[in-house]
Amino acid sequence: MSSITLAIERSPASQLGNFIKNPIAVAVAYYVGAEMAFFVGTLSDKIFAPFWPPNIILFCALLLTPTQRWWIYFLAAFPAHVAAELGVGMAMPQLLVAFATNCLVAGMNAFAVQKFLGGARCFNTLRRTAIYILITTIASPALSALGGAFVQAMGNGGLEHYGLYWARWYASNALGSLTLGPVAMICLTETRWPTSFALTYRHAEAAAVALMLFAICSVAFNLSAATAAGGYLPTLLYLPLPLILWCAVRFGVKGASGAILMVSFVLIWRTLNGPTLFVVGDAETNVFALQIFLIGLSTPILLLGAAIEETRHAEQTTRESEERMAFVAASSNLGLWRQELATKHFWATRHCFDMFGLPVTTRPTLEALLNCIHPADFRFASIAMKSAIQHGAPVEIEFRIGANNDDIRWIAARARPEFEDGNVLVAIAGAFTDITQRKAAEAEAMLQRQEITHLMRVSMLGELSGSLAHELTQPLTAILSNAQAGKMVLAHETPNIGEISEVLDDIITEDTRAGEVIHRLRRLLKKGDAKYETVDLNDLINTTLRLLHSELINRRVATSVDLTPDLRLALGDPIQLQQILINLLMNAMDAVEEMSPSRRIINVSTNNVGDDEVEVRIGDRGTGLRAAEKQYVFQPFYTTKKRGLGLGLSICSSIMKSHGGSLSIQNNESEGATASFRVPCKIM
Amino acid sequence: MHDGNFTAFLIDDDPAILKALSRLLRASGYDVMPFHSSRAFLAAHDSSIPGCAIVDLAMPDIDGLQLQEALHKENVERPMIFLTGNGDIPTSVRAMKAGAIDFLTKPVRQSHLLAALTRAIEADAQMRQERASLQSINDRLSLLTRRESEVLRYVVAGRLNKQIAGSLGTVEKTIKVHRGRMMTKLGVRCVADLVRLAERAGITPQA
Repeated sequence: MSSITLAIERSPASQLGNFIKNPIAVAVAYYVGAEMAFFVGTLSDKIFAPFWPPNIILFCALLLTPTQRWWIYFLAAFPAHVAAELGVGMAMPQLLVAFATNCLVAGMNAFAVQKFLGGARCFNTLRRTAIYILITTIASPALSALGGAFVQAMGNGGLEHYGLYWARWYASNALGSLTLGPVAMICLTETRWPTSFALTYRHAEAAAVALMLFAICSVAFNLSAATAAGGYLPTLLYLPLPLILWCAVRFGVKGASGAILMVSFVLIWRTLNGPTLFVVGDAETNVFALQIFLIGLSTPILLLGAAIEETRHAEQTTRESEERMAFVAASSNLGLWRQELATKHFWATRHCFDMFGLPVTTRPTLEALLNCIHPADFRFASIAMKSAIQHGAPVEIEFRIGANNDDIRWIAARARPEFEDGNVLVAIAGAFTDITQRKAAEAEAMLQRQEITHLMRVSMLGELSGSLAHELTQPLTAILSNAQAGKMVLAHETPNIGEISEVLDDIITEDTRAGEVIHRLRRLLKKGDAKYETVDLNDLINTTLRLLHSELINRRVATSVDLTPDLRLALGDPIQLQQILINLLMNAMDAVEEMSPSRRIINVSTNNVGDDEVEVRIGDRGTGLRAAEKQYVFQPFYTTKKRGLGLGLSICSSIMKSHGGSLSIQNNESEGATASFRVPCKIM
Repeated sequence: MHDGNFTAFLIDDDPAILKALSRLLRASGYDVMPFHSSRAFLAAHDSSIPGCAIVDLAMPDIDGLQLQEALHKENVERPMIFLTGNGDIPTSVRAMKAGAIDFLTKPVRQSHLLAALTRAIEADAQMRQERASLQSINDRLSLLTRRESEVLRYVVAGRLNKQIAGSLGTVEKTIKVHRGRMMTKLGVRCVADLVRLAERAGITPQA
């Protein structure tokens, strides 16, 4: 993980990063940094700087280098250190101890930052910034100061002030990590250096606020003893704060670190060159107070800058993610929307309006979209939407849009309520999908299923045509014979009028019977949508058995019928139910065809099942199903018959499914098989 | 219009057809006995009544062809007319070969039915007449002694009296006497008539 991060951070190869990796450059920078510190203000007699840039330079160099190559930088920095310190007249033992502690603090910083933060990018989140401060401002300076305190102790020749020396050494390094450190690390990790400078509003603002800060700091920290005595000290202390906050809020961690650096620089410079706020004691005490003040100021400002950076980044990520989501939603033909309830604010993706055929200029409201709904669907769709808004119920509806019948499109709408604090409904969010193609395919499939069901019915009746013709022949025979008998009665000298009347009655009865046969056939042959109504299955079975009367006789099959007298009314399409009955009865006849006369019996029975179903059972005494057949019987085109398409049971099964019922076939315990189907019954 | 003593035995499982055809045949002057099943007909059948069975081909339990077979088995001769809703050729051929008068498709026209009935009356009458003449022949044959019967079989084989006497181990004169008595008992005048009678009675000549 850390090696990958390092590789990424090195790859932009910022010029500053490359520069600092050169050991000679590090040596030069170390020396320049030391000289700068001395220039800003060294209490030359005490050989002590308020903050110490060389440690930061060494820290940055080590941070960018693998641990095993650190010795090169320590070696390179040593001559620079000696040169700088000898320049201010430091004795050799002190110089060596100082160098050792400098290397220690830089090394500890670099090691811990690499281990816990994985590289120089430390300020993009609040958490990482806090860890950075913990390492470089608290832990490692405090530890290294244990050694650093000896530098002063050796100079002054006394250990009785060891605590004070420790605190000074600590504050010096901690302040460096808070002021110079962040600026240096941001410069090292900045990947977006401007290639050409264009003056933007932000640049102007940055420049202006920097100037103002510099001016205010210069004024505020430059005061006479009179001002201090006048009691304006606290007021002056806080004078730069608004501008520092401005920097942090507007420019994030960069602004914060820049402002901190500037304030520190000006304040230290002023403190060491004239009277400032910190005028209480001797120069060393003043510097120490100043350091503590600056550490106290910098820490929260740096954290604030990081927090603002993190928020800004999160906002940008959210915005990018929203844009991606909108793009993906539009690509998958999905329109997203959200309605806030309190503010009435409505947000919808561009695609929503495209989908509803609304021009770009339409004011985005939910009403504008709902008004596009087809008049026939408008009522239920708007009721569903309103109930969602009022009661927070999830919505899942499908409706049509478009007023003309030519350009109707089907839309599926899903919406879900958004709650805050558990149960306070704040918004409704949802998605529209164009499902016109799916609807068209569904309609097509439905039509085809109907066609096939009808074709199977016709073909089934075709197989039965001989027997069905016989059903018509019977009444016709009776009618013809009656009519001819009537004529003969009339030919008598004294015709028996009573008998004529009887003859005519019988003709009427038989004609009605023939009419019923034709009516039943026409119903079965007719093509049309399924019409659900209440059906007395007992009646339907009797009618069907009458229709199959001749077929049963011709095939020498007897029936045994056991119908439950108080059978509930089923809910279904009587024609399709009769189709199933005929199909199952014909299957049963086929099953017993080769059997001895005693086994050529079909048992038909009806039952109430549970609270809401009725069952019809059609059993035969044939050979039953073979084990291997059982799983295939409902599959299309599977047949065991010599003739037959193998569609009968598959269609019966799909009819049952569309009725919300079920169809099953099982072997009987003794012999043969029983087909049974269950249909939902009318709810009383 | 028939006005003789002739019964139509109607067998059909459809009560409406039974009723209509009964009415038509009664109006046409026939006695009608309707039955709703073959079983009922067989149980009540009296072959001595002159008549004809009008049978629906397709019936539960025992159908028309099975009824025909059953009657054949019991050696009952009864002219039969078949009615069918959807008769196929193999079935009709089977029925006709088994001696059916006719094979009519429903709805049956009065003229066709009555024509078939007329033929049935003829067939029935002929059958009865034949049965009667056969009966009288058998009656006469039963009057013959054993020896006379033997002589009869030799005569119809075309043997001379002398040959017969040789075969039976007697004299020609005795055979002449037997032969005279036999011819008298059977009521025939010449050998040609005797041969015809023997043939009808199914007597095999003695080779």
